[in-house]
Amino acid sequence: MTETPSFSRRGLLLGATALTAVAAIDAPASAQGAGGQIRRITLISAAQASDPQEFQAANLVAQAWRQLGLDVEVRGMPRPQLSDLVWRSRDRWDTTMWRMVGRPERSDPDELVYNLFHSSTAETGFNFVGYRNPAYDAVAEAQRRELDLARRRTLINEAQQLVMRDVPYFFLVYPQNVIAFNNQVMRRETVVDQAGIGQRNFWTFNGAEPVGAQRDLIANAAEALNAINPLYISGAIDSWVTDLVWDRLMRVGPDGLPRPWSAESVTTVNPTTVDVKMRPGLMWHDGRPVTLDDVIFSFQAPAGSEAPMYRPFVTNIAGMEKRGEDTVRFTLREASSSFQTATLAKVNLIPKHVWEPVLARLESSPQNAESHQEVEPVGSGPWKVTRFRLQEEIVLERVANHFAPPKFNRWILRVVTNTEASLGMLRRGEINFLADYRGDPALLQNLARQAPQIEMASAIDMGFRFVAPNLRRAPFDDVAFRRALMTALNRNLMVQAAWNGFAVPANSHVSAALTAWHLPEAHRANMQEARRMLEEAGYRVVNGRLHYPAGRQETLQSLQ
Amino acid sequence: MRYLASRFAQMLLVLWVVATLLFLMFRLLPADPTSAFIDPTFTMEQQAEIRAAFGLDKPLWEQYFIYFANLLQGEFGQSFFQQRPVLDILVSALPNTIMLTVTALLVAYGFGVLAGAWLAWKRGSWVEAVAAVLTVRAAPEFWLGMILLAVFGFGLSWFPSGGANSAGARFDSELARLFSLDFWHHMFLPALTLALYLQGLPLLLMRSNMLEVMQEDYVTMARMKGLPESRIVLRHAARNALLPVVTAFTLGLGATVGGNVVVETVFSWPGLGRVLVTAVASSDYPLAQGAFLLITVVLVVMNFAADLLYSVLDPRVSHGRG
Repeated sequence: MTETPSFSRRGLLLGATALTAVAAIDAPASAQGAGGQIRRITLISAAQASDPQEFQAANLVAQAWRQLGLDVEVRGMPRPQLSDLVWRSRDRWDTTMWRMVGRPERSDPDELVYNLFHSSTAETGFNFVGYRNPAYDAVAEAQRRELDLARRRTLINEAQQLVMRDVPYFFLVYPQNVIAFNNQVMRRETVVDQAGIGQRNFWTFNGAEPVGAQRDLIANAAEALNAINPLYISGAIDSWVTDLVWDRLMRVGPDGLPRPWSAESVTTVNPTTVDVKMRPGLMWHDGRPVTLDDVIFSFQAPAGSEAPMYRPFVTNIAGMEKRGEDTVRFTLREASSSFQTATLAKVNLIPKHVWEPVLARLESSPQNAESHQEVEPVGSGPWKVTRFRLQEEIVLERVANHFAPPKFNRWILRVVTNTEASLGMLRRGEINFLADYRGDPALLQNLARQAPQIEMASAIDMGFRFVAPNLRRAPFDDVAFRRALMTALNRNLMVQAAWNGFAVPANSHVSAALTAWHLPEAHRANMQEARRMLEEAGYRVVNGRLHYPAGRQETLQSLQ
Repeated sequence: MRYLASRFAQMLLVLWVVATLLFLMFRLLPADPTSAFIDPTFTMEQQAEIRAAFGLDKPLWEQYFIYFANLLQGEFGQSFFQQRPVLDILVSALPNTIMLTVTALLVAYGFGVLAGAWLAWKRGSWVEAVAAVLTVRAAPEFWLGMILLAVFGFGLSWFPSGGANSAGARFDSELARLFSLDFWHHMFLPALTLALYLQGLPLLLMRSNMLEVMQEDYVTMARMKGLPESRIVLRHAARNALLPVVTAFTLGLGATVGGNVVVETVFSWPGLGRVLVTAVASSDYPLAQGAFLLITVVLVVMNFAADLLYSVLDPRVSHGRG
């Protein structure tokens, strides 16, 4: 449960603006030993209408940096245009607001620790800021190979320390996910808080117990679904459905760690060999048994060209073989500490008898498996699809003979595009689980106060919001400059003023929600200290504008 | 017949121009649609593969010819995001939109015509002054919808807060769903919002036509013959004043099919307007093109129908005969 912020967003902004003005007057103006004047820096952000929190945070960042003498312009643009610029024109932009979203497979820090900052992904991959540090590369590679938990934790800590030292990102906040449910429909104790994901998760949907006569768990989604397809990562909301309908060999548990699911046990024979023993009696929704051939097929199917979105999760598999009646042996190309989370808990088990003919037919067509929508989707999960209208509603029915049968009879997802209406629906019982709320959390908090049957919950997300500097471009290529800019940012102010109190300050690419891996850091914003750091690094403020150290001239253009 | 053929040819020309503009418009947007779609973990080869699968790796002229050849075969392409044929997506959203639009238009025009005629009859009285103020053409749909939702949905609980059916409701067929009490119960508030928004035009049109017609000689003649006022208004004046309203109705039908975005969003109504907005926001070219094209077809066909209807309803109007 969350506390109400004690002061208003407007008040905070006014205060911050006033401070900016005072600090600007106070700015030193020394021309001694100054280089060229730093160009106008453009901080790009999602447009205000599409992401008001991000836009507000961008303005607070710009205000703080202006106090250091930087000329900063905040430019909002549509998200696709922003992604296009940042992703495809890696040497054109200066700084951008960015976010990493939480996903169950990111419960293992490998994906973010490796992909975000390893130099091999700087050219065209995830490392869009262009951070290159051989020491970091070595640590990121070592943690990937390390199977001993304690030793791996040390390596992950080391990676975080390097990032805190080198400041390739200006971390802002870990947002809090907000949901609400009707405690007269489902038992409060059975709503599970999954580490880094919050209460809207597989364990809640599958394990929540009804307390009254209502046997339908009715949740909302703020936008229409794209597809229900086990070979297509088509959207966040779509994944809620695929999670329930298709089982995996393992699932990421409420504690954030992978646990056997369709598998009875998972044994690491040696760093590159993993044995998976299947549970007995697993059935597909069409009544046929789940076989070892199905399991092997499920990991072979994405390896071809028909399911490009799932391919990265299986590329490390060198081979699979049946061992006995109930075991599949996976041989890996290289040791991988995240194999269980990123592969065994990610890849959906699909029936060979359904998908083999489909994939064969698609091979000679321009489409791939992502374009195939089953009329009656067949999985082996605890819920089966009864009917679906992607714009409107998805209805799932419990599979009574599943090894972990759901407690509710039906799981219904309604598409409700009006945020205020979703609150009204929750109050009236038209929905009983507010799974997707994009409005002001304070409104939901008020509703929960007025209606005792409504219970609100929030949890820290494993995703994070940050400002990404382009390390390819001066002055962001200078670590001293980046450290000073980081020191100037007041993350507590961001939490209150931009996220209305529903976030916590961020300091690392491993979220505070991942308590087993996160490395805390005491950080206090200090404008004087930031100025001192710039001064020490040779930067000078001349007539209120920040200049490069002596001998260095501006060679770049501002973003047009 | 010649007139018909000429109007038909004009119609095709308009459709071709619109289809071409739509093609160019979406490709001139600043962002590559795959930016929002491609996962950052993909390699460049995988990204290129996805772009190739969408046909975005081909030169623009080639994309244009493929697009047109497909259109001529009734093939609208495949949605980038939903990975389904565009036509399927549009067809699945169309019944909800048609039901909502036609119902709202019938209510709006039925009410508008009667109220317009009555106001013309009551010209100069206090009734006219009050009614003119209550004509809510100027009230934004969003505001109107939210007020109705707050009062009749959240407050009185007379109507559901959104959607086209109750959660998990089952129906034997699509037709059974569309004509079920549950569907109409859900449609009441969105249809009322749209009808209230739309009724201003027919009301004012009918009123001004009526005022004009009431000055005609044949109305004076009817009065001289001593016919009752109600009969003069309904039989003589209203029938003639109705012609422009009928035209407005057909045009309104075309315009409203794609213009329900606000009402559909407020009431979470799963219709064409929402498909269109989602498609534009996510740069889903084929889906956005298909939706716009469908709206254009309805609009152009309704224009055509209005022209024909006008000449049928009013024999004084002739086409192409000098």
